[in-house]
Parts: sequence; structure tokens; C-alpha cells
Amino acid sequence: MKQFGKILKFELIGYLKNKIFVGVTVFIVAVIAIVMFFPRVMELFDEKQSSAEGMTQGTGEEGDNAGELPLMLIVYDKEENAELLKEAFSAAFPDHQVRLASDLKEIKEQIISGYAECAIVLEGLTSYTYYVNNLSMYDSNTMVINEVLQNIYRMSAMIEGGIAPETAGEILSAQIQGTTESLGKDQMQNFFYTYIMIFALYMVILLYGQMVATNVATEKSSRAMELLVTSARPASMMFGKVIASCIAGLLQIIAIFGSALLFFNLNDTYWGSNEIIKSIFDMPLDLFGYMLIFFILGFFIYAFMFGAVGSTASKLEDINTSVMPITILFIAGFFVVVFSMTSGNTDTVLMKACSFIPFTSPMAMFTRIAMSTVPWYEILISIALLIGSVFGVGVLSAKIYRVGVLLYGTPPKIGAILKAIRKA
Amino acid sequence: MVLELKDIEKSFGEKKVLKKVSFAAEGGKAFGLLGRNGAGKTTSIRIMMNVFPSDSGEVLFDGKPIDYAQVQFGYLPEERGLYPKKKIIDQLVYFAELKGMGHKEAVSSVDYWLDRLGMTEHRNKRLDTLSKGNQQKIQLITALAHDPQIVILDEPFSGLDPVNAMLLKDVVRETIAKGKIVLFSSHQMNYIEEFCDSIAILNSGRIVLSGDLHEIKRNYPRNRLVVRSLQIEKIEAEYGGSCERSENGDLIITLGDPGDKGNAMKRLTERYDIDEIRVYEPSLNDIFVEYAGNQE
Repeated sequence: MKQFGKILKFELIGYLKNKIFVGVTVFIVAVIAIVMFFPRVMELFDEKQSSAEGMTQGTGEEGDNAGELPLMLIVYDKEENAELLKEAFSAAFPDHQVRLASDLKEIKEQIISGYAECAIVLEGLTSYTYYVNNLSMYDSNTMVINEVLQNIYRMSAMIEGGIAPETAGEILSAQIQGTTESLGKDQMQNFFYTYIMIFALYMVILLYGQMVATNVATEKSSRAMELLVTSARPASMMFGKVIASCIAGLLQIIAIFGSALLFFNLNDTYWGSNEIIKSIFDMPLDLFGYMLIFFILGFFIYAFMFGAVGSTASKLEDINTSVMPITILFIAGFFVVVFSMTSGNTDTVLMKACSFIPFTSPMAMFTRIAMSTVPWYEILISIALLIGSVFGVGVLSAKIYRVGVLLYGTPPKIGAILKAIRKA
Repeated sequence: MVLELKDIEKSFGEKKVLKKVSFAAEGGKAFGLLGRNGAGKTTSIRIMMNVFPSDSGEVLFDGKPIDYAQVQFGYLPEERGLYPKKKIIDQLVYFAELKGMGHKEAVSSVDYWLDRLGMTEHRNKRLDTLSKGNQQKIQLITALAHDPQIVILDEPFSGLDPVNAMLLKDVVRETIAKGKIVLFSSHQMNYIEEFCDSIAILNSGRIVLSGDLHEIKRNYPRNRLVVRSLQIEKIEAEYGGSCERSENGDLIITLGDPGDKGNAMKRLTERYDIDEIRVYEPSLNDIFVEYAGNQE
């Protein structure tokens, strides 16, 4: 036990003195500071700018402003309705400058040259062609066009059918009042912090897992292991290393999220209108508790595996190929979770299964708790299974470590290791 | 203080590495464990230090099964290596602490040894900034700083310049004088001959020779003469097949019966102009080659 303490201290100091570890933490905190102070700084600039604008107001020409907006061209051969359409589109696209045009060939050239952003060529009120140079993934213009044309068509149809224009307008602009009350979890609100937590878990486990594996392999390749195996028990070595890396990881996360929380509170008022950012910092306390539990257990189970694999590699170059199966297992779990999160259904059969398998449950069960309603006994079973597996994997990996550290040469096959463990 | 290995057997997979290995090392004396590469020296040492268990046999300390919580080992492995990127003082203190020392005690002991080996100026440097010989001296400290009862030195002299070798010799003599058990494993026979009172030779996992070095030498057949003379060709012609030239040009004559050596010496000095004639003492090297030369 005394030995374990010494190893833990030595390894932890090793992390905290590591320039890369400290550098990365400081860098991330600095980035968060910049992001969090951004609205405050922007507002400072805005104030200056608006006061400056106030001074020069009146001298600017309104036409200048319109000239900067992207150009949208409309082609419609029925002259009598063209002006009406232009007005409707101008209203629907306030950030575009809408103009009428006629020559299709010229329009295409204008779009390609970048003079105009897009063009709508109408064959009637119910059919049109939308021309654009590069179609953006997020181009929602056609949806707006559809709506505008639909309204115009319905309006004119109603007027033709004998309904007064005012009444038709009222019918078309009727608003539905609806409110939603979620009795379970609000996925909209929970999505962002769940996503951030899952992503943090993913990053930290892969990063620190690699660090543990590299750490063990370095001791082996530098032959410090020759002395270590005669000085300390393998179990103390393994647990000391893994727990030290876990503490280092938690310290880093506390530094990052703590500073984020601090900076957010300092700039609270400036973020007032941003629902996403607000929802992230509105995380309920019990969820934070779950996060900590799953985080630590998930970290342990993977760090043990990474450590055991590191002990079977005799050169640092072998590490990447050796850890591949663990990395793939972990990434597969991550993708299942992220896909189910984005699909909006976190209670699929696959997710339920994953939330009990110890290697995926830290991410899957946490996501289910955060984004849907999970019975308490399921959470309990999942955590119990995970704790049991952590101990099992820990003991097994210490045994692999004990055998692995004295093996040099090509990385041994799993069968050979298991055989050696049974004998040891 | 006696450390004893008794009938130790060990296999790795199908391969039998140690076969009924037994030897004993006494306190206040140095013991030489010899053998060619792959003979089983490192495996014996690891079993001795409880890195892994033997398949059968036992390790005894003062006649009782060894209690690893009580008996401390110091070990200089043949494959040297510590943490190249860490400060020397930090890792030396760490290793001393792992062996059960308190922090203050460890620091003062490490400082003593750094001073003793003339390494104090490197105390706060990183290990990989040191030369190979100096790194070896640092490694030696890990074997001695925690004041162990048993010190195991695997090829301690390899890579040291003559001045550092002298320094190490002094340290080894001091350690022996303190009554500790010092176990050498080396291929450099001259150092073993210089320090070790008793030896054991391992060949393919079996002890082929063990005991007091002087006794071994004494029991060796004393039927050879070393002759130095200007008339060496004539002598060679007379003795024909029973003589051979040594590396430095001396003639070594093997007699059929050790009892003949008095007569032979007398006859040679009478008939030839002899500069030097003496009974050939087998060197440890000869003994080693004879016993470990043929691997099974």
C-alpha cells in the first residue's frame, strides 16, 4: 500500500511536470476564455461603432447599403403579376436585393460570374426553376420560395373563388398557438451538454489511455522495467499508473470546465440571449454526479486495458497497432451513442444493450439518463456491472502486465499471454 | 547471512531453463555466478528476487524460506536503463522509496552515494544528458542506496573506464567488508577472480561446477608446465605433441603424470637455457571454457 502511494505520487508528478500536459491545458483554458469573453468584447466594439455611426448618420446613402446585398433575379413572363411577385419575394428575402430579369442565358452567366447569387425562373405560379452557382448544404431558399408561391397561388385562387382579399389574407395568415410541456427530459435542452460530456469522455479516454500505454512501453523500452519489476509489485505499478492518470485527467477536466463555468458567470449577462450556451451551464446536479461516476469508471476500464496492451509492446512503434482493437471498440461505442443522440431516440434496443455492456455503458447509459427517462434499477445494474468489470479488468491487466513486461521481441499473441497468466 | 538456492527448476513453455539449480552465497564474501549467454543466470537472479516463482525448489535465507518483506535486494541489471527524461535525484529517490525508505532518509542516502561516486554535480540533470559510464554509476546507486543485505551486480564493469572501474572496485570491497552478500554475474573473468571467493558455473540451466575458487583451482590437475626460453623450438621438438604455444609465446608442456613435474623441471633446466619455468595455474578463464564451453 505504501509502495502504491509512492508510485501514484511519482506518476502524478510526472504528469503535472509534463510540459505538453500543462501546455495543452493552458491553451484550452485560454481558448475558452476568448470564446466566453467574446460577446463582452464585441459589445464594447459595438458601442464604439454605434456611437461613431451616430456621428456620421445622414451623410450615408441608402442605396449603398442595398448595393452590398446579394442579388436575386426573378424571371416571369406574365408582365402584369411580375411587380407583385417582386414585392412578395423582397418581403420574403429581406437580406437579398430582388430584381426582375428576362434573358435566361445572361442570368446564368451572371450567376456563374458571381454578379448575381441566384435566380428564380417561374413557369407559372406552381412551378419554377431555381438557379444557383454552388448549392450550399444549408440553402433553404427553395423552401421559402415554395411558401411564397403557395401563398400567392392560394390567395389568387381564393379571390377568384369570390372571397374578399382581406378575408383571404386573414385565413392565410392564421396563427396556431401551441405550447409543449415535457414531463420527462427535454432533449433540446439536454442535447448540448450531453454531447459535450460524451465528447470530453471520448477525448480524455483515448488521450489518457494512449498516455498510459506509452508510459508503460517507455519504461519497457528504456529498460527501467528491469529494475522496476524487482522493486515493486506489478499490481501496485498498474493501479498506481492508472489512478495517477485518472487524477491527472480529472484535474485537467476540472481546470477546463471550471474555468469555463467561471468565465461564463463573469459574462453571464452578455450571454443572456444564447439558449445553447445557457443550456450547457444549466446542467442539473444529479446529472453531474452521474457524469462523474461514469467518467471515472469508464476511464479506469479503458486505462487498464491500454496499460496491459502497453506492457506487451517492447517498442514504442508497436503501440499504435497494439492498441487498435481497444480504440476500435471504443470508437464504435462512441458512434452508436452519437448517432442515437442525433436521431433523437436514445432508447433503441442497441442503445439499451450498449448501456449494460461495460465497455460502452459509460457513454450509452449516461446519454440515456441525460436524454430520456431510465428506471433507477437499470442505472443501478449498469453501474454495478461496470464496477465489477473495472475490478475484473484491473486484476486481469495487472496479470498481463506482470507477464508482458518481461517479454521482449515481437508482441505476443493473446493466446500466449493467457497461457502465461494461467501459469503465473 | 547465507542466501541459498535449492533444487530450483523453471520452464518457460516447453523449454526447461533451470534444472535443479543449487548454490549458496555467504555474507562478507563475493559470489560469482558464471555462464554463457542464455545459460540461465538472469532467470536464476529473477527467481532469487521473486520477480516470478520457480516451478519447484526453494530460496532460503539463513536456512529458512526467504521472507521478501524482511530481506532487501539491490540489483544492477545487465540491461541498464532508468527514466531518461527525468531528473536524476527524483528517480533515485523514487527507487529508494520503492524499496521501503522514507523520503528524507532516501534523499540523504542518495546524496551520500552521489558524492561517493563523484556525481553530485549531475544531481539535478536529466539522465539522458549524461555519458554512458556516468549513467551506469547512477544505475549503481539504485542498487546500493537503500542499504540492502544482498547486492546483485550483473556485468558491473562493462562500459566503465579504468578510473571508474577502480572506483567501483573500491565500492564493491567496501560493500563486502560491511558483511553483505555480493553476487556477481560477469563474463569478465579477471574481475571475478579478483573478488569472488566462490563461484558457480551454469551451463544450459544446470550447475556444472560450484564451490570455493581456490579449492577448485587446487583440485585442478597440476600436470602442466610453463616454460620461457630462447631455445623454445628445441624443447618443442623434444616434447612434440604434448606441448603447445601460449598466446605470449611461452611453451606449455602437458605431462602424463602430475608426479613427474619435479623431474621434468630438473631435466629441462639442466639441458636447456631456461629463463623461467613454473607449474601452470589454471585461470578462471580456462576453467570457464572447459565447463561452459560445450552447451548441451
